[in-house]
Amino acid sequence: MALTESLTTEQALSIYRTMVRIRACDQQIQKLLASGAVQFMYYPCAGQEAIAAAVAATLRADDYMLTTYRGIHDAIAKGTPVTEIMAEIMGRHSGTSKGKGGPMHLSDPDSGLMVTTGIVGGTLPIATGLGLAAGLSGSGQVTICNFGDGAANIGAFGESLNLAALKKLPVVFVCQNNLYAEYTAFADSTASASIADRGPAYAMPGVSVDGTRPGEVYAAAAAAVARARSGGGPTLLECTAHRLQGHYFGSDESHMDQQALSAARAATPIDTFGAELVAGGSASETELAAICSEAEAEAGAAVESALQAADPQPAELYTDVFADIAQIPYRQAGPAPREPDLGAMETAEISYAAAVTQALDQAMAADERVIMMGEDIADPAGGVGKVTLGLSTKYGEQRVMATPISEQAIIGAATGSAMAGFKPVPEIMINDFLMVCMDQVANHAAKLRYMSGGRTAVPLTIRTVNAGNVGRFGAQHSQSLETWFAHMPGIKVAVPSNAVDAKGLLLSCIDDPDPCLFLEAMRLYYNPAPVPVEPYRIPLGLAACKRAGADISLISYGWTVLECLAAAEQLAAQGIEAEVIDIRTLVPLDWNAIQASVAKTRRAVVVHPATEFCGFGAELAAKLHETLHGQLLAPVRRLGAAYTPPPFTLALESLHFPTTDAVVALAQRSMEATA
Amino acid sequence: MKITMRVPKAAVSSQRGQLSKWYVEDGAGVKAGQLLYCIEMEKTALDIEAPFDGVVKHLAEVGKEYAVGDAIAELTRA
Repeated sequence: MALTESLTTEQALSIYRTMVRIRACDQQIQKLLASGAVQFMYYPCAGQEAIAAAVAATLRADDYMLTTYRGIHDAIAKGTPVTEIMAEIMGRHSGTSKGKGGPMHLSDPDSGLMVTTGIVGGTLPIATGLGLAAGLSGSGQVTICNFGDGAANIGAFGESLNLAALKKLPVVFVCQNNLYAEYTAFADSTASASIADRGPAYAMPGVSVDGTRPGEVYAAAAAAVARARSGGGPTLLECTAHRLQGHYFGSDESHMDQQALSAARAATPIDTFGAELVAGGSASETELAAICSEAEAEAGAAVESALQAADPQPAELYTDVFADIAQIPYRQAGPAPREPDLGAMETAEISYAAAVTQALDQAMAADERVIMMGEDIADPAGGVGKVTLGLSTKYGEQRVMATPISEQAIIGAATGSAMAGFKPVPEIMINDFLMVCMDQVANHAAKLRYMSGGRTAVPLTIRTVNAGNVGRFGAQHSQSLETWFAHMPGIKVAVPSNAVDAKGLLLSCIDDPDPCLFLEAMRLYYNPAPVPVEPYRIPLGLAACKRAGADISLISYGWTVLECLAAAEQLAAQGIEAEVIDIRTLVPLDWNAIQASVAKTRRAVVVHPATEFCGFGAELAAKLHETLHGQLLAPVRRLGAAYTPPPFTLALESLHFPTTDAVVALAQRSMEATA
Repeated sequence: MKITMRVPKAAVSSQRGQLSKWYVEDGAGVKAGQLLYCIEMEKTALDIEAPFDGVVKHLAEVGKEYAVGDAIAELTRA
């Protein structure tokens, strides 16, 4: 196919201009790095300009794009301002992400650039979410998901392509095959001859084109985009173009086929395309030279402006972790959020599980943007715990979407749709399964607000279940992993201990502008309580005093709150008045309430279902000692699960988890100590 | 505008480089893209260009070794 066969002269010149603008920026960046005036890891895109320029030429301004750390060409082609790109890679406040993202995390939602990831394959699941959102809203937006040949060998690839094809999502998966996965040649890391071959295996077209030829890329991309936009579903488009440099700026090139590299450098896509344009009469050499000069001037001016731009102020360190800076641990400011007055509300006796269902039902009824996705959640299954039973029948399978067993795709679908304005509530059946999608939760959902300098947000609520201490679920279904998430800046963690809190906290999580992990306890699922019938919200970051007492503070969350309350009864019989503080949310943390209680009682035991070693109790104990040293009458003690995987047999499981008796024993030891 | 030009981190493993040559005199006026000096690092000679038009001030000596991040030159906008 001739280079320009599918292009009008105007389109061809526009694509050429984009390619040249990309090259000018790439070269300016490399000069700057060589000058030592700035230092950062840079992954050059040289050789791949035609792919970005031609794909972008098929798009609407509001179409979404996702790319990778080798993605400056995609950002420029999609329309991200070059001045902001240069400022970002120098870490300036005027950068796309206030200097918090850097070259690996360019974000510019104004131009549709939603995520640039540093994790190979990390954007494929998110693309399904952006596609899902476009489908639900009927916006007609198409999502272009760029990734390299190396990413095709990541598990997220399979999960994402399958889900996209299954749900006919408007996504074009653009594999920019530059023949090397970091330092490994394509043939040494990929058994199949091409990536596009895998398209039909996922029931979508797999198209392979020469990524150095803008006409070919444009024709294939235009067809894929048209198919996606008209409801035909996704396409896997492989564009092959030899990378013209090593893995990163300054990296050695000994891993590359030197002959092929020389040949590729001798006939770059830009030079070849330029010669074609001249030969075909589309432009004169003088006209092309003028385009190059303009591009170089643009890149030069952007570099100059970035060099003079200001760094972010120190106070920016803590902004954009959450929408509200005061929700960062120990940064509580002003009065605590108020407990809602539920006293006058009509109640009905329902279980913890039913309270969760009621919250979901009321959230979906109130706001069409609330959607759900997860394994088996649609009717007739209604979820493994039957918590979602009836909701797909009531709200439709578009909004209550049963998914394949693909946790990365589930969280990615939620993340992408959240970025596009929905309020997704993905379900991960058991919290142990979160381990298989940790990249999506930890590296993406939790960090995107910060990495984008606050330009994107991910208001999703991951519902999951801790099935510990209900008997015989064993090592992979009984852990309590909330502490892992509390350790991960950017995600909130709610662990309700009763039906009333479960409903009120879940409604708050769904409303919240930040990602939340909502951890339900199977041990509490069938505990009934009088729950207000109408919707109400219990604010995140507000601990509850479940029993007042002057002698010792028992601080807990989740199902161990009940062990603490039972222990407090036993202690009361011995004349010891224990105060039970249910912290309800680990993040945001109501530190003031914890501190106030222990300042009063001067003794504390922290109790939780998770492993005691390195658990949340360690954090609270350390902080209490730092703050109240000298006032405490006994060391703060901790009680969590034993340092073993949860055992299957009850004979051992009963020893693994905290018990009421163990809480009583620890409290008694604390009471024996004197200052 | 003034920038300090430094020994680049040309590779993840880069530690030191030797200034092997000045292409311009101390105090000379230069154009963007003009070669300023050459640094030898890990058996590679890097020719460093002026990122913009300006006046060069030498901050290092030919033949000496410098650590990554050490200043080599100052470039002040003409």
